[in-house]
Amino acid sequence: MIKLIINNHKINAEPGKTILQITQENNIEIPTLCHDERVEIFGSCGICAVEIAGSPRLFRACSTPAADGMVIFTDTERVRRNRRSVLELLLSDHTGDCVAPCVLACPAETDCQGYVKLIADGDYEGARKFIMETNPFPASIGRVCPHPCEEECRRTLVEEPVSIAALKAFAGDFTPIGFAAPPPEEEGSVAVIGGGPGGLSAAYFLRLKGHSVTVYEAMPEMGGMLRYGIPEYRLPKAILQKEIDAVERMGVNFINNKKVSLDDIKGDYDAVIIAVGAWVSSSMRCKGEELGNVIGGIDFLREPPIISGKIVAVVGGGNTAMDTCRTAVRLGAERVYNIYRRTRAEMPAEKIEIDEAEEEGVIFKFLANPLEISENSIRLRIMELGEPDKSGRRTPVETDKEETLAVDFVISAIGQKLNPGGFESIELTNWGTIIADSETFCTNVQGVFAIGDAVNDGAGIAITAIGHAKKAAEAVHGFLAGCGVSGTPQNYLAKTKKTPEDFIGEPKQNRAKMPHRCASERRGDFKEINLGFTEETAQKEATRCLGCGCADFHECKLIRYANQYDVKPEKYEGLISKKTENSPIPNVLQTPEKCILCGLCVRLCEEEIKAGVLGFVGRGFGTQVKPAGDLTPCVSCGKCAEICPTGALTAINN
Amino acid sequence: MNIKVGMGSCGIAAGAGDIFYNLEKAGLKPAPVGCNGMCNLEPIVEIDGKMYTQVTDIDEILNGTKLPLETKQNQSRIALRNCGNINPENIDEYIGSGGYAPLNLTPEEIIGQLKVSGLSGRGGAGFPTWFKWQAARDSAGDKKYVICNADEGDPGAFMDRAILEGDPHTVLEGMIIAAYAIGADEGIIYVRAEYPLAIKRLETAIEQARERSYLGDKFDIKIKAGAGAFVCGEETALIASLEGERGMPRLKPPFPAQKGFWGKPSNINNVETYANIPWIIQNSGMAANTKVFALTGKIVKGGLAEVPMGCTIREVVYDVGGGITGGKEFKAVQMGGPSGGCIPASLQDTPITYEALAATGAIMGSGGMVVMDESSCMVDMARFFLDFTCKESCGKCVHCRIGNRRLLEILERICDGNGRENDIDLLEELSEEIKAGSLCALGQTAPNPVLTTLKYFKNEYEDHIKNKKCPAKCCKPLLTFSIDLTKCKKCSLCVKRCAADAIDDFTIINEKCTKCGICADVCKFEAVNVT
Repeated sequence: MIKLIINNHKINAEPGKTILQITQENNIEIPTLCHDERVEIFGSCGICAVEIAGSPRLFRACSTPAADGMVIFTDTERVRRNRRSVLELLLSDHTGDCVAPCVLACPAETDCQGYVKLIADGDYEGARKFIMETNPFPASIGRVCPHPCEEECRRTLVEEPVSIAALKAFAGDFTPIGFAAPPPEEEGSVAVIGGGPGGLSAAYFLRLKGHSVTVYEAMPEMGGMLRYGIPEYRLPKAILQKEIDAVERMGVNFINNKKVSLDDIKGDYDAVIIAVGAWVSSSMRCKGEELGNVIGGIDFLREPPIISGKIVAVVGGGNTAMDTCRTAVRLGAERVYNIYRRTRAEMPAEKIEIDEAEEEGVIFKFLANPLEISENSIRLRIMELGEPDKSGRRTPVETDKEETLAVDFVISAIGQKLNPGGFESIELTNWGTIIADSETFCTNVQGVFAIGDAVNDGAGIAITAIGHAKKAAEAVHGFLAGCGVSGTPQNYLAKTKKTPEDFIGEPKQNRAKMPHRCASERRGDFKEINLGFTEETAQKEATRCLGCGCADFHECKLIRYANQYDVKPEKYEGLISKKTENSPIPNVLQTPEKCILCGLCVRLCEEEIKAGVLGFVGRGFGTQVKPAGDLTPCVSCGKCAEICPTGALTAINN
Repeated sequence: MNIKVGMGSCGIAAGAGDIFYNLEKAGLKPAPVGCNGMCNLEPIVEIDGKMYTQVTDIDEILNGTKLPLETKQNQSRIALRNCGNINPENIDEYIGSGGYAPLNLTPEEIIGQLKVSGLSGRGGAGFPTWFKWQAARDSAGDKKYVICNADEGDPGAFMDRAILEGDPHTVLEGMIIAAYAIGADEGIIYVRAEYPLAIKRLETAIEQARERSYLGDKFDIKIKAGAGAFVCGEETALIASLEGERGMPRLKPPFPAQKGFWGKPSNINNVETYANIPWIIQNSGMAANTKVFALTGKIVKGGLAEVPMGCTIREVVYDVGGGITGGKEFKAVQMGGPSGGCIPASLQDTPITYEALAATGAIMGSGGMVVMDESSCMVDMARFFLDFTCKESCGKCVHCRIGNRRLLEILERICDGNGRENDIDLLEELSEEIKAGSLCALGQTAPNPVLTTLKYFKNEYEDHIKNKKCPAKCCKPLLTFSIDLTKCKKCSLCVKRCAADAIDDFTIINEKCTKCGICADVCKFEAVNVT
């Protein structure tokens, strides 16, 4: 036996071993990208560098034989610096996306690419289960989400984005909800105030972690804005109810019709999550706003007055405004105006909502802002577009022109605010929302968390609240376990900008059209407009996915180390080595631009498989691993993909 | 009449072939000899000890109108002792000069004499030769190899070529002695294919040595022509290349003396090291205290110079090299090629020893010595050498493959006038990590030109980055051309020669100017200012 000192610990080891072997036996982590016990030592990555007392050099742990009396340091600042430089250099020459742009765009980090692939493979049940790891409401959210994912979909660079949201609804509808029984309730009870998408999701995630959860809802039924803010023709209540029921079946305790303050319940639970949403319509700040014929948009959607044969003006350009207009049409209004101070191009509502509202007969009054409302009219200031503001939208500027419309009802749908009543101890922002940590969703009161429309930036979209819920549930879980509240650290991810030129040659396949009822038919009732994808359409649409995210993300050693070593590769930004097309290897997907030239595949193929199909080609910065032109010796073992530490070679599952 | 014509590559390139032919045609019997080191004066004809240089017409020599050279270069020649003196294709001349003398020593005595001589590897690393030989001798094995590294690759280096062309037998004899000392029966000379004349003369020499039984059953030598990869000068990459593998360095240990060619103990020395061996043994272990340098750059007498260790850089540049061309100011020398570093003129009294050169940040190297004057930009110089190492990197190590490439990109942007505020720090930081993280000497030493120029000429880097000026007026994107109308005679020559049509009414239009510099070059009145 030889005696060594590693990181100030005495270690005995058998002679003839390398430093790396000894550290691995003793659970001391030294990173390595190019070493594997199955192949001969190569020493290309250099990331296993360690210091040995008495030498000014760094040594590669993979190849340095341990000697008696050696004093080794595996984690000094110098060692870390050198390892970091390896990673930063590798990443500066790396093309690819760890995670697909659609996933990054989703506020709940839903793995869109993952479930779209499952749908493409025909595994609809798997797709639903997979979605439900981040979102308990696939059928509902698939219908109502404004899908920021599709905005970022790379397929747009070919023709149109993949119908990601509709595919989610398809997966939610196609398979019955069924989950594995949640774990038994452990110590730690949580109250959730508010049974909207955020509150229910928080309950769902906490229940999955074994906590007992009670949801308090002020309204008669659970669902929040999904129930009371989204019209039936977009999200049928029955579909929503099925998904809410599933949450209840997990053993979440629902208390409806009960408005509670924080003080009412705080003492009864170990933690509280405030998810009360934003239910107060914002003021239009014009004369006559207090009149009885002026109604808030969400109030209208929740409890509409009789408007049959009346003229209705809806103020605002968002999705709530569109929902309001279209609901008014269905309730038999004689005429429905939409009043918006900018133009169609600046409207925040989804384009399809605007188009469909127009099809249904809504009259758009752009560049108009309410000045005064009376019992039977609305006076408007005519606007024009000025300079772009910070968000890039052109600011509306008043002109001296006016217009008056004869109207019976004015509905204000220009935004919603939190009603902070009952949460007096909670600190608010200047604009009246609860201040919550963006990672943990802690408030200023210990044990009290807040999520959704009620916090920070205020009213947003349902999937944002669901994203909050997942993170808050993690934080509450940590808090209840007594290990403190900690958010997920901001991880480094490799990203690559792409342009249409990158997809020249990708065959064009048009986006599947959502079948829907025609305007004349649908404007008379509240039945769902969209008819949903057939299995055939869904599967075909799912195959349009370009699979931008790395297939090996969860196994990739490069990205794991990159996050361990806090890399900043931007400083080495420069030319990216050109990787030319390779001849195919059976059952292996090659992504040469992710190759780090560790040579593991080359050596395994040669030394263990004795096939020698892979080799190094070129010199210097242009060096590349390539399969030989003649693949006859290849035995299709797929081991090259298995040993690859990055996503350069991945197995193709048949 | 004893007539010698310098028929090394340098001589042939200068036209020695015609001179040789004309001498033969005139009924004389000229002998071809190797390079005598005065490459700048080729073609050289030596008649009965009188040396005629830059010969164009043999009649001028024969009728006495051309005068012989009065003084020879100030050199002390051991490795080059026969170069230019004997016919490399005639083994008898080599034997006549004392070569292939009977060896009456035991292997231990030979290694002992090497140890006494203090000979260290002339390829660049300066490792004690006796130690390598002893290690190879001590390694157990029924089969051992002696390998000569003739993969000379530094830009501006041609020491080994000159020896192989001018005195191939001394290399063979050095290898024969090594084989006897370590117990090897097979020798290989790894020589780059770009040295056809060296290969031809080696082949002839090997054939002759076999005929005289200096080579044969006990020990024979074959030649392996390398494909010209710089990294194959690294001994483990050289072995990989010999084995038919990609020329990629391998991890050490094991050292080649333990496990070398085909896993057998192998001794690898470079050409100049072997060339010193017969002389040392003939002189019973006397120190071969010289080093051959290939003098290039802004120097009057470019060529080969074998100088005693301990003489100063100033002596090499001025006494041997004749000083700087065009009367310009001496600025720096780059020692050791792309792996070496620059030494500024302020340190020109540094003695040429391994230790003193290392103390400056440069290295002895294999003998490349590039002399620079005031018109040489040090950033551009570092860029040039890094460009070379980037192209020659085998691509194995991350630090060398990508790190050196990033260093080059930073240097390129500095030379292009796009240098950034923290680029100097970034160069220094990255250089240190590359040196620490690369496997072989190519990667480890590649940042040396950057680090040494930063050490001695940081102000030039700062001028490029902060003031967007190249003090040496070398980096074109940083130059501005203007016409001094007080000197301009309106001859219009510049206007006619300007390819970019950038001179209008004797004013240079900056937007059009491509900074080619032709206006300044053609102006007879020095009216074009370059700033």
